[in-house]
Amino acid sequence: MTSPGTRIADFIPPAVRARLKDLRLTSRRAVGLQGLGLHHSRSRGAGLEFAQYRAYEPGDELRQIDWKLYARSDRFFVREAERESPLAAWLLIDASASMAQEDKARPGWSRLSAAKGLAACIAELALRQGDRFGLVALRDDGVRLLAPGAGLRQRDRFLLELHGLEARGQWPSPEKLRPLWERIGAGDLVVLLSDGFDEGSIEVMTRLAAARREVLTVRILTAEERDFPFSGGHRFHDPETDEELLGDGAAMRADFIARFTQARRELDARLDASGIRHAEYVLDQPLDLPLRRLFGARDAAEYA
Amino acid sequence: MSLAFLIPAALAALAALLLPLLIHLARRSEQRPTAFAALRWLRQKPKPRHRIRFDEWPLLIVRLLLIALMALLLARPVLHGGEAHTPYVAVAPGIDPAPARGVSARARVHWLAPGFPSIDAAPGMTNASLASLLRELDATLPDDVKLTVFVPQRIDHADGRRIALSREVDWRIVPVAPPTDAMRKAVPPPAMVVRHATERAAATRYLRAAALAWQPPDSGAKVDVASIEQPLSPNTKRLAWISAGSVPGNIREWARSGGTLLLDVDAKIEDAPAWTPLWRDEAGDALVEGAAYGRGRVLRFTRSLAPQAMPQLLDPTFPQQLRAALEPPAAAPSRVAAAEYKPLTGGPTFAIAPRDLQPWLALLIALVFLLERWLATSSRRAVAP
Repeated sequence: MTSPGTRIADFIPPAVRARLKDLRLTSRRAVGLQGLGLHHSRSRGAGLEFAQYRAYEPGDELRQIDWKLYARSDRFFVREAERESPLAAWLLIDASASMAQEDKARPGWSRLSAAKGLAACIAELALRQGDRFGLVALRDDGVRLLAPGAGLRQRDRFLLELHGLEARGQWPSPEKLRPLWERIGAGDLVVLLSDGFDEGSIEVMTRLAAARREVLTVRILTAEERDFPFSGGHRFHDPETDEELLGDGAAMRADFIARFTQARRELDARLDASGIRHAEYVLDQPLDLPLRRLFGARDAAEYA
Repeated sequence: MSLAFLIPAALAALAALLLPLLIHLARRSEQRPTAFAALRWLRQKPKPRHRIRFDEWPLLIVRLLLIALMALLLARPVLHGGEAHTPYVAVAPGIDPAPARGVSARARVHWLAPGFPSIDAAPGMTNASLASLLRELDATLPDDVKLTVFVPQRIDHADGRRIALSREVDWRIVPVAPPTDAMRKAVPPPAMVVRHATERAAATRYLRAAALAWQPPDSGAKVDVASIEQPLSPNTKRLAWISAGSVPGNIREWARSGGTLLLDVDAKIEDAPAWTPLWRDEAGDALVEGAAYGRGRVLRFTRSLAPQAMPQLLDPTFPQQLRAALEPPAAAPSRVAAAEYKPLTGGPTFAIAPRDLQPWLALLIALVFLLERWLATSSRRAVAP
């Protein structure tokens, strides 16, 4: 419990847990799995949401015939509705060394801590909706994968997995990411919690999105990256590449903020082009803010 | 009031002010390691601006102040014109100070005693010269200070002439019952004992004549003249030893214990002291030399006691001259009526010695040092980077 990113016992602060009530996991892609759930389904069947009428065919159940329409048209029509089905949500957590970065103003609250908190929140939402949720920790020494499941025991397994997660190493090479392609099915919801600094993570997201997975991402930044409050001489050290750069903080501030903002804008454009919903979370913000942006009332309206 | 420095060259030590500044800047230049994953978007400036920046201003200022004060201390600052200009009242010891207090409400009242203690303190009994104290007081007071002096009607230890001060003195005479000291007794004429070797008996007549001349004319006193074998009477004060060769040990012992020994030119004395001329002839050559010897004195003739060698033997003033050489001069009279002793004006004016600021500066340095320690070690201070 001493390594970075493992200090928080309960991942969800009480205030955030209270505000999770009016959030819902949504997917823009209809999914068609067996079972009952909240999400739209392309398969027709019994449900509340009207889909279409079709002509009666032998073998249809008599109770599906719309008798009022028969009274008007003297023909048998079968009323069909969309079948609502559960969703599989994959929480992808970047566990490379850059995720261990903290703000000096708030020691112990690293990017990885925030990612764990967000993952726990999303798992809580999924549990409440009866959706299945799984976890993938991405690190170059091996991808840890928790297969999706539903229920309280799945949540406990999920939290146990989160507790043991530490940030080190780098973003995994493409070969090590093969389990993603094997396990994440079409139409699944994928949420990547990362700093978005690795080109590999962007590539994985765009390819997943292109392969008809519903991809969402939360870019987790430290407040120091947003504000660059350094003054005086600093030796900036990149934990992943071990590069170092000497410089005076105040002198580099304007240039860095301009370049970094530009880079984020370009990245957002790429994500938008791929149809990836994205939100940004800075470590000094409340934990539910990115969730509200991703799953807020605007997107959840059609589920009401 | 104006500030001056006795050693202005020591102000060069102010260059040491650069020391804390340089240390401060050197400490700032060290680089703090910072984890920063977004290094890709961070670019080293082609010319990194090194702005001179100070933090912990209060501590730096206090340290600079400390060094500046030490440099000032080396330069020996003095303050001109810081003296008080209120009237000054000096009271000779032994006088009731009550009337002196009533001279002026603003006046400073002090005893006229060494160190000039305040009138509230008890003046130590002293026989310091009143004239000397007045001159010191006059020299240490600024020109425009009005000086009032209370003296008893009879002044002891006065100078031989009226003193001249640089200012007009308000000379107040207070009648005081004169101390009932015993009148000085008349000094009895000296008596001299002569011991001579037989072959020099002729020389003793001059000494006997001189010794008789010292006595009152009708006293009928006799002069003890004998050969050197004769013992001395126990109350002998002066002895003329007219003999060649070494002076015997018992005579030297007697001289050491307080006697006055007058030696012949040929007499030798071991452990002879350094001689000082006491009596010179017209040509300036010494006739009688003398020196202290133990608790007593030793004198000797530089010529043999014969008129051919020393014509002064036949002089009518020989007894007075010899007596003057044998006896220390009597003190001049030093008691005077205060009314006759009012100081004159027109004496020399002295520049007032400036006040030395070093002790106050040292105190200030100690206080600033304490402040510096407090600032440097207080817990409010941020963790040193």
